[in-house]
Amino acid sequence: MNQSISTAITAHAITKTYANAHRALDEVSLEVRQGEVLVLMGPSGSGKSTLIRTFNGLESLDSGHLDVLGLRLDAEADPRQIQRIRKRVGMVFQQFNLFPHLSILENITLAPMRVQGQSAPTAREHAMLLLEQMGIAEQAEKYPAQLSGGQQQRVAIARALALKPEVMLFDEPTSALDPERVKEVLDAMRSLADQGMTMVVVTHELSFAREVADRVMFMDAGRIVECSDPTTFFTQAKEERTRRFLRQID
Amino acid sequence: MQAWLRQASKRGVPLDLPAHGRQLWRHTRRHPLDTAISLVVVVLIAWAAWNSATWAWKAADWSVVSSNLPLYLNGSYPADERWRPQLWMGALAALTLITLLKPAQGGLLRWLQRCLPWCWIAMIPMGIALLGGGLGLSSVPSRAWGGLSLTLLLTTTSAALALPLGILLALGRTSSLPLIQLSSRLYIDLMRAVPLIAVLFFGQLLIPLFLPVEIEINRVLRAVVAFALFAAAYVAEDVRGGLQSIPATQNEAASALGLSELQSLRFVVLPQALRIAVPALTNQAIGLMQNTSLMALLGLVELLGIGRSLLANPAFIGRHLEVYVWLGVLYWLFCTAMALLARRIERSGPPMSRHSV
Ligand SMILES: Nc1ncnc2c1ncn2[C@@H]1O[C@H](COP(=O)(O)OP(=O)(O)OP(=O)(O)O)[C@@H](O)[C@H]1O
Ligand SMILES: [Mg+2]
Repeated sequence: MNQSISTAITAHAITKTYANAHRALDEVSLEVRQGEVLVLMGPSGSGKSTLIRTFNGLESLDSGHLDVLGLRLDAEADPRQIQRIRKRVGMVFQQFNLFPHLSILENITLAPMRVQGQSAPTAREHAMLLLEQMGIAEQAEKYPAQLSGGQQQRVAIARALALKPEVMLFDEPTSALDPERVKEVLDAMRSLADQGMTMVVVTHELSFAREVADRVMFMDAGRIVECSDPTTFFTQAKEERTRRFLRQID
Repeated sequence: MQAWLRQASKRGVPLDLPAHGRQLWRHTRRHPLDTAISLVVVVLIAWAAWNSATWAWKAADWSVVSSNLPLYLNGSYPADERWRPQLWMGALAALTLITLLKPAQGGLLRWLQRCLPWCWIAMIPMGIALLGGGLGLSSVPSRAWGGLSLTLLLTTTSAALALPLGILLALGRTSSLPLIQLSSRLYIDLMRAVPLIAVLFFGQLLIPLFLPVEIEINRVLRAVVAFALFAAAYVAEDVRGGLQSIPATQNEAASALGLSELQSLRFVVLPQALRIAVPALTNQAIGLMQNTSLMALLGLVELLGIGRSLLANPAFIGRHLEVYVWLGVLYWLFCTAMALLARRIERSGPPMSRHSV
């Protein structure tokens, strides 16, 4: 248990096979340290989403186990254990996934009120604080459909932060955005990283990976190919597959 | 003609009549067949309208309607207690108006509008209590209920029962538990395979058989139960359509926030599904109101039943057309009111146009 003080997430040889017998994760082992920003890269279909979604129990495991903030997650994990983890791990999706029938404020206060039992005024006050941090406090009363993609994604980040998570997971948070909207979301993530949040980020934004990541991990075909600090990763990757991938996206 | 209208509307309002006239003329010359058909249709419509109007003004004898208004409203409800159903219908009308009004800025109206859903729910026990009696009101047996007030009571109470029942069935139908899913599906398929009139007959004849002799539940309640059981199957399918149109990512986002399955359903999925189902549910509600007239065949003197019993009266012999036109107008009026209410509900919600797909 000593290690869990400095480690946020540990994966021990986790394997995931989808119904179509496709092996999306193949004995993946890794460690995410407290307070670090880990960027995950890899070609489409390499299993990045699957991996990050196992961290909060959105995907089940077939074998191996995870240690998330000291909580064990394996093939037989029961729903309550998964729920305990989800209360402490926030997630931001590529498509925002805001609740379109709720106002921005209600989107953010829903979980604090229903999951943590916060009172409405408390939850609302905290939500406004988060919206201010995200620079969209004036949108609080609007509905998701009335916001731009960048604004929606910042709301999604605020919504995930409302439960005061210890780890944040981002699955391609800027891939669905217009190029000119990408920066505002990356800036929000950057300031989150500066505050010491533990973050696992699937992204192909090279500048973000270079400047914000503590480590960059490259995945292919359900395996981790290599993992190193950004400078090493981008200038002298060991594996040929990584170098080929970097040449393609550059 | 239609093409011309389409063009005209595409170019948008400020109606420039001379220009439209010129265009109509040009179109007429270019498409003679089109023009001929349009003319024939216009003449036919005018002829039908003229005939109906002369019938309504000259030939029709509306005394069968005008001298029996209290009957149409309340049936054979005791005369000195008629204020009760009338009060209830008045409350319904007032509530409908308040719902349709633009949201008020302040005052009593604003307060009323805020608790509208509760007011609507309260209408049902209020109707039953006012018509049936109790709480200091003398009790009036359901035998004496009738007319429009009975039609409205049948419609509102069956709808209010069918909605939650239908939602439960829809949830059962989409459940992952095989037994629940199978039984919901069997129920829905069965109810949709049986004609409504058969269900109503069973309701009148069978429900008493299942109950001990002492408990005599009244015929109106039996009808309501039968309508609700029948409508629930259709409601379930409409709600299921709504449920299935909500992308799984909504549920995922809710789970990722730590919401339980039940909470995700209640706060995220169901509200959206129901809003999507509103147009289809409106159809069901309108159909339900019209179907209550079937009870006239089973001995309840609701609106149609009153009409039939009046026609059986020698004083009004042969006045079928007047009675049915009048009933048609009444049903049209109430179904329109329902459609307006539904549109109001649709519009009251947040803009849902852009789903994060
Ligand atoms: N629900 C599913 N059912 C079956 N196969 C799936 C499912 N989800 C993903 N897969 C498969 O698993 C593999 C990994 O998918 P995953 O979504 O994790 O990749 P990814 O690295 O996130 O790709 P992308 O960059 O396109 O998002 C892919 O081959 C994909 O086809
Ligand atoms: Mg992915």
